[in-house]
Amino acid sequence: MAATLLEVRALGKRFAQRQDRDKGREPAPWVIKDLSFSVRDGEFLTIVGPSGAGKSTLLNIIAQIDIASAGEIVFDGATVSTRDPRALRPGIDRRIGYVTQDDNLLPWRSTLDNVLFALEVQGRLDAQARARAEMLIRTVGLAGFERYYPHELSGGMRKRTALIRTLVYDPPMILMDEPFAAVDAQTRTQLQADLLTLWELGRKTIIFVTHDITEAIALGDRALVLSKQPSRIAAEHVIPIPRPRNVKDIFALPGFAAIHERIRADVQ
Amino acid sequence: MTDIALESTAETNLRWRKWAIHGGRLALAIALILGWEYGARTLGRLFFAPPLDVLERIVTLARSGQMFTDIAATMRVSAAGFAIAAFCGVLLPFLLRRSLRATEAVEPYIMASMGIPKYALAPWLILWFGIGDLPKLVVVTLVVFYILYITTFAGIRGVDQRLISMARVIGASERVIAREIIWTSLLPFFFTGLKIAFPRAVSATIVGEFLVSTEGVGRSIEHARQISDTTGVFAGVVIAIALVLAINGIVNLIERFALRWRPVERDMEI
Repeated sequence: MAATLLEVRALGKRFAQRQDRDKGREPAPWVIKDLSFSVRDGEFLTIVGPSGAGKSTLLNIIAQIDIASAGEIVFDGATVSTRDPRALRPGIDRRIGYVTQDDNLLPWRSTLDNVLFALEVQGRLDAQARARAEMLIRTVGLAGFERYYPHELSGGMRKRTALIRTLVYDPPMILMDEPFAAVDAQTRTQLQADLLTLWELGRKTIIFVTHDITEAIALGDRALVLSKQPSRIAAEHVIPIPRPRNVKDIFALPGFAAIHERIRADVQ
Repeated sequence: MTDIALESTAETNLRWRKWAIHGGRLALAIALILGWEYGARTLGRLFFAPPLDVLERIVTLARSGQMFTDIAATMRVSAAGFAIAAFCGVLLPFLLRRSLRATEAVEPYIMASMGIPKYALAPWLILWFGIGDLPKLVVVTLVVFYILYITTFAGIRGVDQRLISMARVIGASERVIAREIIWTSLLPFFFTGLKIAFPRAVSATIVGEFLVSTEGVGRSIEHARQISDTTGVFAGVVIAIALVLAINGIVNLIERFALRWRPVERDMEI
């Protein structure tokens, strides 16, 4: 059994109330409360939860874009969570990658330059890094679109660009916040297959948040179910489907129906 | 077959529309010049200098070299004032951006100082700085500064915070974020500011030259006015217009290059 890479302990989050509503009222409600889980090195963990369950907030806290209000996060053996917004270290030294729900591509950079952006700011833009970027672009079928600006690409192509922009600098852990939510079903299946192909190349640790139970089963080694607000872990399911998996025929695989049924029962 | 036919119709349409625009511009220019000529004939030469006389005067001024000396003098002050104002007007929002408290403390003073009638300061500025380029430079700088300060700040406030978060996670330093993300995001605002500010800078210089100067387009207009040379006044005004149009053309070219990544330009095509 591989070592624990990330541990979330009794995490809590509530947002500061807006000043005009704050007068004499009780403190803001908890969005996340007493949430604990851990991720092993090299594991593909999926987290399923209804809309508004604080899934993005959870990832923002792990990525150190936002502070926690209670509890702590231990990453690679060190406590990294803080209560002070100025002490946040987003992406903790480039070891946590984050693929957000919006692709957040830089509109003035072409596909290739968006992919190279991370390497550029990290000062690691050498021939080898370039070759890796080009390999990833080919792997996800973006060859020929290197010089296109984001607004000239389809939604699926933008998602792929955002995905490999994070993969290219090879962070040991990658957070993904419903990265394929806004694309059509067919493209999504293709993107899921692409993601698994890329993941098999390096087996990074991935925390993949989604509201789609089928997606959680198709991708993950293990699926956590979040409750409604204040969210905590409602259930945990090990996905019994062996790899490599064919995402397109996931419905037909033995064990799929049973695990889908069990997870759905837990999702409120 | 149908596709090709449709495409060529669309192309013909586009070409036709472009010609319609050029034709419309030409028609407006002719109407304007005819109205001008009509004004000169009915109101007399003291009130309206005929277009041909003005053209002749401009040619004379160009041949003698006087026009270029004037333009150079006006441009020297405009460009210098503009450069100082642009530097401060862009730098200040970038510095204030880091501290909300500093911004809120400084903002009312900047807004209040905007209310100062800059041209009314001229006599006092002459007292301070003499009758060289300096008082004009101060006026031009003040006029331009606020435009660029406000547009730059609006641009900074409009930057997509999610892009900044993404860059931080990737490991970008604050310097890279300021240079790549904030600066590039606010470029559309900056160019809007430039297009308003540059004609203002030239106008401010010309007004300044009315008051104190030995050369410049404003000086030549003022000199003509003093000797009731309406043709001279008109010639100066036409030169000033040409100057502003030329600068605007250059700014437009730079803008088109700098913002070539933007999708809007294409959607807005006639």
